[in-house]
Amino acid sequence: MTLFSQIIQYTISGMTGGSIYALIGICWSLVYLITKVLNFTTGEFVMLGGMLTWVFRTAGFSLVLSVLFAVACTILISMILERIAIRPVRYPSEVTYMMITIAGASVIKGLVLLAWGSETRRIESFFDTEVIHLFGATITSQVLCVFGLLVIVTIGLSLFLNRTLFGKALRASAVNLTGASLMGIDISRFRLFCFGLAGGLGAITGIVITPITFTGYEVGMLTGLKGLVAAIVGGWTMTGTMVAALVLGLLEGFGAGFISAGLKDVFALLVMILFLIIRTMNFASGARRGYP
Amino acid sequence: MGKPADDVLLDVRGLSKHFGGIRAMSGVTFSIPQGSIISMIGPNGAGKSTFVNVVSGTHVPDAGEVHFQGEDIAGLPGHVIAAKGIGRTFQLLELFGSLSVLENVMVGCHTRSRSGMLACGFSLLSALKEEKRIREEATESLAMVGLEGRAHDPISRLPLGERKLVGIARALGMKPKLLMLDEPAGGLAAHEVEGLVRLIHLLVERGLTLFIVEHNMPFVMSLSRWIIVLDEGMKIAEGPPEEVRGNEEVIKAYLGEEVC
Amino acid sequence: MNGAPRQKLLWLVLIAVIIAIPLVAGSYVVGVMCFIAIFGGLAVGMGLLLGQAGMFSLAHPTWFGLGGYVSGILAIRGIAPPWLGSIIGAVFVGLISYAIGAPLLRLRGYYLACATFGLLLIVQISLAQLGSLTGGHEGLMGIPPFSIGGFVLETDVHYYYLSWALCLACLWFLNNMMGSRMGRAIKSFSDSEVAAKSMGINVPRYKLKVFILTAVMASLTGSVYTCYLRFAEPGICGFPLQVQLMTMVIIGGGKTLYGPLLGGFVVMWLRELINLYLGEVLPRMSAQVDALFFGVLIIVILIFMPGGLSGWMDRLLYLGRRTLGKTSG
Repeated sequence: MTLFSQIIQYTISGMTGGSIYALIGICWSLVYLITKVLNFTTGEFVMLGGMLTWVFRTAGFSLVLSVLFAVACTILISMILERIAIRPVRYPSEVTYMMITIAGASVIKGLVLLAWGSETRRIESFFDTEVIHLFGATITSQVLCVFGLLVIVTIGLSLFLNRTLFGKALRASAVNLTGASLMGIDISRFRLFCFGLAGGLGAITGIVITPITFTGYEVGMLTGLKGLVAAIVGGWTMTGTMVAALVLGLLEGFGAGFISAGLKDVFALLVMILFLIIRTMNFASGARRGYP
Repeated sequence: MGKPADDVLLDVRGLSKHFGGIRAMSGVTFSIPQGSIISMIGPNGAGKSTFVNVVSGTHVPDAGEVHFQGEDIAGLPGHVIAAKGIGRTFQLLELFGSLSVLENVMVGCHTRSRSGMLACGFSLLSALKEEKRIREEATESLAMVGLEGRAHDPISRLPLGERKLVGIARALGMKPKLLMLDEPAGGLAAHEVEGLVRLIHLLVERGLTLFIVEHNMPFVMSLSRWIIVLDEGMKIAEGPPEEVRGNEEVIKAYLGEEVC
Repeated sequence: MNGAPRQKLLWLVLIAVIIAIPLVAGSYVVGVMCFIAIFGGLAVGMGLLLGQAGMFSLAHPTWFGLGGYVSGILAIRGIAPPWLGSIIGAVFVGLISYAIGAPLLRLRGYYLACATFGLLLIVQISLAQLGSLTGGHEGLMGIPPFSIGGFVLETDVHYYYLSWALCLACLWFLNNMMGSRMGRAIKSFSDSEVAAKSMGINVPRYKLKVFILTAVMASLTGSVYTCYLRFAEPGICGFPLQVQLMTMVIIGGGKTLYGPLLGGFVVMWLRELINLYLGEVLPRMSAQVDALFFGVLIIVILIFMPGGLSGWMDRLLYLGRRTLGKTSG
């Protein structure tokens, strides 16, 4: 492949990755903004989407039905998680919620491992494997599905949050929880809704990428974490998350292509760490003197 | 009676601090002489706590100078300023809930001890001796505020008045030269306020310089020889109690609040 | 004060019991107790960091693994015997935790957790990738056994005593430290950082010290572990271990030093029991299935008994002391 084709190819794979991280980042934001819970099971929702689709598919259902069932199951699981693990917490704190969701993620991962073993599983592409050629690089139809999903979700969520009453109430709660509950908004139902929505969105994302990246009990953690990186760097806003995610994806794509494929995950993690550290540095006026 | 012109302990010039769009403090200038009791009053939001936070190092000033015993301390980290001899209490107490009353006060003695991690971990003799000395000093400080009997109780079991005293005893452990009290009388019953006044006089006798931020007017008027008045971040008056009491600007600032 | 002699007595009893166990129990029990010393010891460090110093670091397994790998690599290549390799590993880990800790520890709460999580994964992935040095995914095999002055440690019982010696030494050091000026400083800044600073405590420096200390202890433990197993693989510094440690801290209670060790005892024996009864139903416990089990425990405990076992015990003790009239009020 010529250098130019390589660049195009890495850009495409980078943007694919970026779209995935953007979608996952949105899942994190949805839950965090309303509930202040850092939901570490987000990555597992993504895994469950793909995994459950495979389960239903091998059980004989059509692709469409499998997808529907998988999404429905994941939504159910995320809502159950909220009810039994998040709501009953008596001394809620950020750290407690984090530990609980980390534990929840372990439970989900372990159950999947027990039920279906540790091999990677596949599901077929949604459409026939047409392949588009662009300057010597290839774009598969599945990749287009990923982009398409991102567009649909972004538009859909915007409309929902800005145009519907429920969506506006959600945004209000994100800004001021006490004020919102004083207005008669039921916070606990909102939380349940957000968990369910994040579960569904995560599952769909997972399903859409499975034909490309396969699926297995392990895939949730790293992908989920990269989505978190996008959300944090993007400041938890939708546009910020998308931009951050795309940048991250591109960095990863180029890093994997030109530097080393095995270390590809390391790039995202380094970006996160560097970003978090730089954030704390005070470049504004009034810096400390004599800081030891 | 003019302001005593002896050694200036703390000298503040043009001190300013803003948070985003809010100017919490602008161009505050005055000095605190050694051995005095100076009070700062002002309506809510006047910038009194900000002042204490800036001088003690919690915040970095945006402009102005702070000199303590002739040394420029503006912008230094809080723990460095504390080691130089400025102690403070907090409006919201900020006591250490995981520690007992005596242990809270022992933390105050931190700057007067030196055992490091290894000395403490290996239980070296030097560390053990220092520990004993700290314990004795802390017990003395507790006795000075009248709480020796509560030494081993957890903080949660103390009423507000006693907690405030623990806060003071804790700051005393550093043997500070300047002690800044942030709303020490807030929420106290009348007899507790009397006890506080006696304590403050005792401390001044022992050579401490007191700087008190307060709302409680009778308390302030009876104690201090010199009062600084802040409003909306700026100093609007300064002088002995009688002068300040009659000052029109001050009365206007409090707007209907009874200035006795 | 009746605290000090009572503590000394407890220590003696503990040491006596530890020494006695291999004399009366079989090698299975000795093996489990050996792992309790190793992982429980790690959990104690983590409990200190999280429960008392208020730093949520997810990178504990990293130090454990790095220590194990460094001493293992040095031993296999004949550069240094395991005992020296452990020390070199500890110094290495100390330097890295110092370099990384300084910028990282400025982060709060979940930001620190995310950053240390990232660190954990970076090291684990890198270890798997640097095949020539570390043996890649399959790991390092054939690490020589620990030897002290000619005496080679070969059996489970030998490593049992070594692990417990290390665990108890660390516990002793930490206990002294937490009961002293430094311990008060640590507890104070986790309660109120601004008040601690106003008392002259250099909070960032103390955080760094605790971070490095626990990292070094983890590293030494890791070196013993890889020598015991004669084997090291990237999974030992993975996230499932972090979950396991968190479980021990949560069950045993993070506010006391001994809590996590107690938690380790409970967790490991519970695991063995479950294995015994459900061994046919569930496949042999792998790290991930362990994590499932730990996950459930964490959730249950955090919801119903946030103070863990030691929190519960401490409350009992306090109530007991009160009824005997030993505290005022």
